[in-house]
Amino acid sequence: MTMNRIIETDSQEAFIKEIEKVQDVLPKRIDANPKNVEKGLAKLVLTLVELIRKLLEKQAMRRIEGGSLSDEEIERVGETLMKLENKMQELKEIFGLKDEELNLNLGPLGDLM
Amino acid sequence: MDRQIKTLQDKNSYLDIRKQERVTLLEVLDRVLTKGVVISGDIVISVADVDLVYLGLKVLLSSVETMERLRGAPMAGAQEEPT
Amino acid sequence: MKIYAYGIIDSNSGMDEPLRELGEASVYNIPYRDIAVTVSELNDEAKEITDTYILEHERIVERLMEGFTVLPMRFLTVFNTKKDLLSMAEFYYEDFKDNLVRLRNKVEFGIKIIWPQDTIKQRIINAWNKSNHSLSIPADSKAKSFLKEKFKQQQIEKEFQEEANRCIAVVDDYFNKIACEKKLKRLQTENLLLNSSYLLEKQRQNDFKQAFEQLKSAPGDLKFLFSGPWPCYNFVTLTKKPSAVDYFNTEDMLNRLLAQQGLPERNAV
Repeated sequence: MTMNRIIETDSQEAFIKEIEKVQDVLPKRIDANPKNVEKGLAKLVLTLVELIRKLLEKQAMRRIEGGSLSDEEIERVGETLMKLENKMQELKEIFGLKDEELNLNLGPLGDLM
Repeated sequence: MDRQIKTLQDKNSYLDIRKQERVTLLEVLDRVLTKGVVISGDIVISVADVDLVYLGLKVLLSSVETMERLRGAPMAGAQEEPT
Repeated sequence: MKIYAYGIIDSNSGMDEPLRELGEASVYNIPYRDIAVTVSELNDEAKEITDTYILEHERIVERLMEGFTVLPMRFLTVFNTKKDLLSMAEFYYEDFKDNLVRLRNKVEFGIKIIWPQDTIKQRIINAWNKSNHSLSIPADSKAKSFLKEKFKQQQIEKEFQEEANRCIAVVDDYFNKIACEKKLKRLQTENLLLNSSYLLEKQRQNDFKQAFEQLKSAPGDLKFLFSGPWPCYNFVTLTKKPSAVDYFNTEDMLNRLLAQQGLPERNAV
């Protein structure tokens, strides 16, 4: 068995750990199991909601930094963003989803977030 | 005393070999699972076989111990079928 | 009998020596015009896939590399019939030819890097704390404290991303001139700074390895994984996109439709 290919590393364990995190091995397939379908949909919806939420946060921060909001407005924006974050946390827990799972791979464009 | 050390050394080199095998497998998987000529569509893979095949992959990648179990007994990768 | 495909090669002649088998079926070529698909037959029993299969598949592709230019198939590309396989070859023929020409005498190498993300994050946090760049609003309510903290997080994350880019650029610098093409995946996890694939000409393998040795000896707290040469998995580009219609030649499709209606096939004897 001739294999002229080499694989060398000084840290096997570290790489095993990281690569296993990354590998989403199963090609996407619609699984008829209702529980998984639910989770799959939740994942998709929550991914999009997270995207919007993060964009909102960035947008809000820019405006606050820029000084164009009144003290009262800042207070309201803060309250809203806080509530949104807590809500998302709740939803993630309900569906048993981790932060890293809420991402979409757009092929050549890389990941959504 | 000498014999004890020898066993520990053996154990460490055994683990190293295991880890190296795992790294090799992961490197291969990083490429063959999603890259290369990727053909999708109806003419590729008949549906009936797919679940079992994917099931095997899932079992394979869960842990080194599972891998060893599979290697030892080819039909022993028993996981519950998705209902 | 299903057909398992390993790759596309730039030759339509038979193989000089039989390669070893996947399971018990021997490996052979199905030619299509001036190229061929290297395959073996899969009997209909669904098999338990073990790492042996995966490594065997890879080994066969690498053996092919010794004699041909190979476009490696994704693992588990299986066709129901030889006809389907030939339809596929017909559909992608131009793409395959283009890739075979482009990838001739080239190989792929991979470098993965782990960086100490927690140390780096901490460094950024410390610098930020000293700097007094916080959001200039009074922290006189829960909502405002939240905003200040959120701002801090965003700024730190931004700096972290920029540091990653800087680091990757430094690494890439070692290989840029040696490689023809590259694919860089940054921060697949916070620790996995870089998952890179470089395409280079076979004869530049040693230069590439040397450049890597130089990189390794440069100061920095990085962990490296170096692998290769590989078949060019990351550099196969297919431009044609299939729609259901394209897969079947019209004759075939027409006959299927006719059969559905209970009518005789065209040109039936």
